[in-house]
Amino acid sequence: MTTRNPSTSTPLRIVWVVISLAFVVLSVRVAFGATPKIVTDFSNSIALSLAFGGLVLLTHYLGLLSLGQGALVGVGAYAALHAVNDFGVPVVWMPLAGLLAGTLVGAIVAIPSLRLPKAYLALLTLSLAVAYPIILKQVDGNLPVLLHGEFVAPSWTGIAENDEHIWELFLVTIYASAALFLVQGLLRGPIGRAFIASRDEPEAARAFGVPVYRLRLYGVALSGGMAGLAGGLLMIPTGFNDFTHYPEELSIKMFALAMAFGGSRLISSVPAALILIFLPVWLIDRNWVVEYGWVGLFKSEGFIYAALLLATAYLTRGKGFMHLSERRKRRNIEKSVTANRGASLVADQLMALENRLNQIEGFVGEPPDISSRQEPTD
Amino acid sequence: MSLFLQRTFDSLANGSAYAALAVAISMVFRSTGVLNLAQGQLAMFSTYIALVFATGPSPYLKFSSNTDVLGAAWPIWAAILGAIVISMVIGAFTERVIIRPISADPVAAIGATLGLYLLLGAFVRKQWGGRTMFLGSPFPQTVDDRWDIGGARLWHDTVGITLTMIGVLGLLAVLQRRTKVGLAFRAVTSNRTASLMVGIRVSRVLMLGWALAAGIGALAGGLIAGEINVRPDMMGRLLIFGLAAATLGGLKSPVLAFVGGYLFAFLETMLGGYVSFIDSQVTLVWALLVLIIVLFVRPSGLLPRSEAWQQR
Repeated sequence: MTTRNPSTSTPLRIVWVVISLAFVVLSVRVAFGATPKIVTDFSNSIALSLAFGGLVLLTHYLGLLSLGQGALVGVGAYAALHAVNDFGVPVVWMPLAGLLAGTLVGAIVAIPSLRLPKAYLALLTLSLAVAYPIILKQVDGNLPVLLHGEFVAPSWTGIAENDEHIWELFLVTIYASAALFLVQGLLRGPIGRAFIASRDEPEAARAFGVPVYRLRLYGVALSGGMAGLAGGLLMIPTGFNDFTHYPEELSIKMFALAMAFGGSRLISSVPAALILIFLPVWLIDRNWVVEYGWVGLFKSEGFIYAALLLATAYLTRGKGFMHLSERRKRRNIEKSVTANRGASLVADQLMALENRLNQIEGFVGEPPDISSRQEPTD
Repeated sequence: MSLFLQRTFDSLANGSAYAALAVAISMVFRSTGVLNLAQGQLAMFSTYIALVFATGPSPYLKFSSNTDVLGAAWPIWAAILGAIVISMVIGAFTERVIIRPISADPVAAIGATLGLYLLLGAFVRKQWGGRTMFLGSPFPQTVDDRWDIGGARLWHDTVGITLTMIGVLGLLAVLQRRTKVGLAFRAVTSNRTASLMVGIRVSRVLMLGWALAAGIGALAGGLIAGEINVRPDMMGRLLIFGLAAATLGGLKSPVLAFVGGYLFAFLETMLGGYVSFIDSQVTLVWALLVLIIVLFVRPSGLLPRSEAWQQR
């Protein structure tokens, strides 16, 4: 359980507000200053940060492993696209279809696997990750399916008609920020504490009346919902769906990044999403790819992710690098609390000693008041 | 009837591979509590090693561009045996260097096996590329090498693979039941603390378990390579079926995992053969569906319920 230190909460909040404002400024700057390709990549990163948020929730709050988050993103994308194409849902609301589909599939996977040891969830989600592209290919065919809808910016935004990528970025950012804000709020409350209790001490949590199985089920469903929403949001900048978008490698890479960058705050999913999208771009820009895979031991994406996973496992025991700084912070708080407690103890004892000394001094220094003992005489 | 028989025969070779991977996964999970997701990649890597041994000096299979360290091509059996030995060393090394320091934390351990999964895949792609290669079978594989039984063809190759796997797993059972090493292994899987107290070298036994699992995986890869060819992703599908089969044994029973391997292969072949809208690709999905249904109905798999609930 984390300890809230009242003396540091206000400056910390100010720091978070500053970081958030900086992010908003950066987003606006990217939206209006960067090329459409970079803006689209940025939109994809923001959408995927939600899926990473779901993974962080699973791995760092519930201690569960999901190796099929990429497939759940795909489920969301499929549902969102077909909600528009087949059921006429307005494009602005299509991510909600992804949210529903992701939640449902997450729950279906979770119900049987959570009754067994934790490894079963990893096993079933990995199977889902392998199976999903095959299912999608079977259902949608080999060719990409286009979204029958456009994102035209309202006139009051002042965004030109051919700059729809800017409006798409704003839409994705609004959806993703709202979702992350809501889930982070949920995790800060009693539900988040119950998640952590069920992770650290499931038996004790059960004894205190926490429904551990049901709680984990909600957690996996929520995580699936976040991934599904991310898939729905991916449809906004991408505009088409294809079975090649969601190979099992995507799920494994997402797991690696969530393990490495996850922490007690969902915001840590943003750097993970940025790396997932921009690392290949960066590698390709340097011609570090060839036809049959990646060139060089340390230039390869596969080697980079393998190193990341192994380093996370060894250096942080699977808790992520954010956890190291959080642990240091917690240790400092604990130290200061302990030091304060020690100082107050010494002060109390000094006060007691002083009182005692005063008593003795008074007893020794003052002559006995004999008159008070004399019987009053007439 | 002959078609049914033919399909049953066809499922045997795949079933052997699934069963071998499932047994390897169960052995590791049973002894260390770690779900080794790199089991398939280890098998794939060892198949490439067998390919290197079997091909001899070849411009695209050399380990190094400067020296030819392997000499002439080896017979396939010798190549597979060489690969098994190397895989066992890699398995023992993996347990000692990668898993043991973090085995107390299951999340970290699964993360590490996933890291190994990516590492082996990336290494193979870098070293040998992504193209399909052919290893061949250690058993006769010509058109005439078959028996005709009840109108169905039973290939010598299929029988050879199946009998080899059953023989090896039988030997493994004998090792576990009749030798001191097996007794130590059973003691460690049953109660690690008590084993330590009676003087069993637990770490050495665990290392042996990983080595044996890697060796079984290598054998499976080497034998099945004649059927499915050698590619960096050759084990993805096999791993999923292997995991599903291991689940039927509650991840802890190698015998039930073995049975589960053949069961899933049978199911895969029959679904693909008799249900019109299921092609060979989609059988994987149906196997996944069957797995979910089994876990719904009977979470313990084929294990007795009491044993399964003890694992929680």
